[in-house]
Amino acid sequence: MGRKPITRRDFLKAAAGLPVAGAILPALTKAASSGQPVPGTELKKAKVVLIRDKDVLDDIGHIRYEVIERMMDQAVCTLTGASSPVEAWRQLIKADDTVGIKSNVWSYLPTPKELEEYLKRRVMDCGVPEDRIGISDRGVLKHPIFQKATALINARPGRTHHWSGMGTCIKNYIMFVPRPAEWHSDSCADLAKIWFLPEVKGKTRLNILVMLTPLFHGIGPHHFSKQYTWPYCGLVVSQDPVAADATGLRILQAKRKEYFGEERPLQPTPHHIFLAETRHGLGMASPEKIELIKLGWQEGILV
Amino acid sequence: MELGKVKDKTLGVRLVYRAKNIDLKKRLPFFLAAVVGFFVFSGGIMSGKEEFKSHRQEDTLGIEELKSLLPEEVASWKALAEDEVYDRETIFDYIDGAGEVYRAYNFRRVLARRFEQPGKPALVADLFDMGSSADAFGVFTHDREGEKLDLGQMAVYKGGLLSFWKDRFFVSVYAEEETPETRKAVLELGRLIDSRIKNKGPLPELVSFLPEEGLIQDEVRYFRSHHILNYHFFVSDEDLLGLGPETEAVLAKYWRGSKKPVFLLVVRHAESCLTEAAWKKFNQVYLPESKGSGQLKTEDGTWTVGQIQGRVLMIVFQASTKEEAEELIEKVRRKIKAE
Repeated sequence: MGRKPITRRDFLKAAAGLPVAGAILPALTKAASSGQPVPGTELKKAKVVLIRDKDVLDDIGHIRYEVIERMMDQAVCTLTGASSPVEAWRQLIKADDTVGIKSNVWSYLPTPKELEEYLKRRVMDCGVPEDRIGISDRGVLKHPIFQKATALINARPGRTHHWSGMGTCIKNYIMFVPRPAEWHSDSCADLAKIWFLPEVKGKTRLNILVMLTPLFHGIGPHHFSKQYTWPYCGLVVSQDPVAADATGLRILQAKRKEYFGEERPLQPTPHHIFLAETRHGLGMASPEKIELIKLGWQEGILV
Repeated sequence: MELGKVKDKTLGVRLVYRAKNIDLKKRLPFFLAAVVGFFVFSGGIMSGKEEFKSHRQEDTLGIEELKSLLPEEVASWKALAEDEVYDRETIFDYIDGAGEVYRAYNFRRVLARRFEQPGKPALVADLFDMGSSADAFGVFTHDREGEKLDLGQMAVYKGGLLSFWKDRFFVSVYAEEETPETRKAVLELGRLIDSRIKNKGPLPELVSFLPEEGLIQDEVRYFRSHHILNYHFFVSDEDLLGLGPETEAVLAKYWRGSKKPVFLLVVRHAESCLTEAAWKKFNQVYLPESKGSGQLKTEDGTWTVGQIQGRVLMIVFQASTKEEAEELIEKVRRKIKAE
């Protein structure tokens, strides 16, 4: 017999402050999020930059390239401590790297082309020739650049997700497995395992959770209505995908509370983010383990 | 496995399939012949227990039949692009994430048609063949949020999206942006589709077992998968109740004057031995302290009480007293026909 199933009663016990024998609960609540840290990760906080600029979108919602460039440059300089964007990028990418930029093509809210273009240009600034840079989503397993990639950059929009609770940086790597549906059980609980597969392990240099017009509530088969997006005009940037996602989640949850006028937890719960820390040791999900640096436009920042 | 798209000029659709070295275009006539053959043959197969009759059908409606249920235009919007057809394997290429919801039911395929008008938000109609009216109703109950409308057999509208079920179909019509004009067109398109689906389908019998007093009708969920159960009411990350394609379940929420709502779960298996096994497992894992009695006051001070009768398993969660739970179960028992 495998591990003991986690049941509703385990949550009731946790809520009542009773010991939960043997079970490692998904950290769905504040109580659970203070679980045991992964050995070796106790001392260092994950650095996350949240940068916002209300001018990143024009009057009809189109993205201004020069603004997104400025936001990203400032974010990577802050993350790395470098004094110039090129210097910052050279800390992330080496000239002899082969670089895969993992994007997301979901038609309603894709990774912006302007961001892809920015990433490609900055990677080229590091000395990587264009023919060693690939941008892909669903075709990564067969993409010759991704097959040879020594470095990955992960960029996707933050949004609610019908099956995993939230579309996250962690989840964006599901295309690195041949049969993604096999990772859907328990609301995609163990997605973080994918990050330890040879195709991606240790290769990710930067994660960008795009929060320009995030989706905070999904409806219908396609889980999308423009009514439930808003111009947050933000980017969440981190080398730790779990910390980036956990920060994005806080923003989505705060927006839901503001919009619905009550706590409206995501359904299903995005516990894959917390399990990425507590079960898989991929990164930091608990707010107290994240150093959040907030830059730019502060109005309506929600976190 | 390769993802491919084949434009079929005869059918006027783009079939999206996942296969290796299969020329679907060449195989299509054989496939359609097989479908027709099955229609003829299936009458002899569907002789099992009455309530499983509908979802044991292996028939899949022909694409022409699906196409005939969608109009070519509505208001000034016209179907300009090719229709697309997705099946159980390719659904994720059309619907990210929520594809699992349809696969959790006996979904066969979806025909998607896009309606366009210059300078206006597009409208999209998705016609899901769910294989049976029970599954069409079930997938509708997964998301019942919205303004209720008199359309199909049950309908809701919210944020530019109209959802309804009728016969074996679940229908979604949505506007890429909601305006007064698109709302009107979405509803008109829905009515047109509704009028083309001639038959009505029965509600699952299991739903009729629910006691009506205190029942919140709009929160009744019908399903077959423990993932869907957990979506609405988390029980366990492992399936303790033997749910699956051949099992049906209904989750109902009751307000009975206490602080918390009471949940009633009714599960019916194909065989009573499966019910007994599920009940045993639930007791062992969820209620080990009850020593098989199926009654326990849990950590939140509420009662979880269960019983089985034939192929039916009934569990009440969050009852304020043991008696309240037993009363609800007794009402279900009285409604269950002798098997």
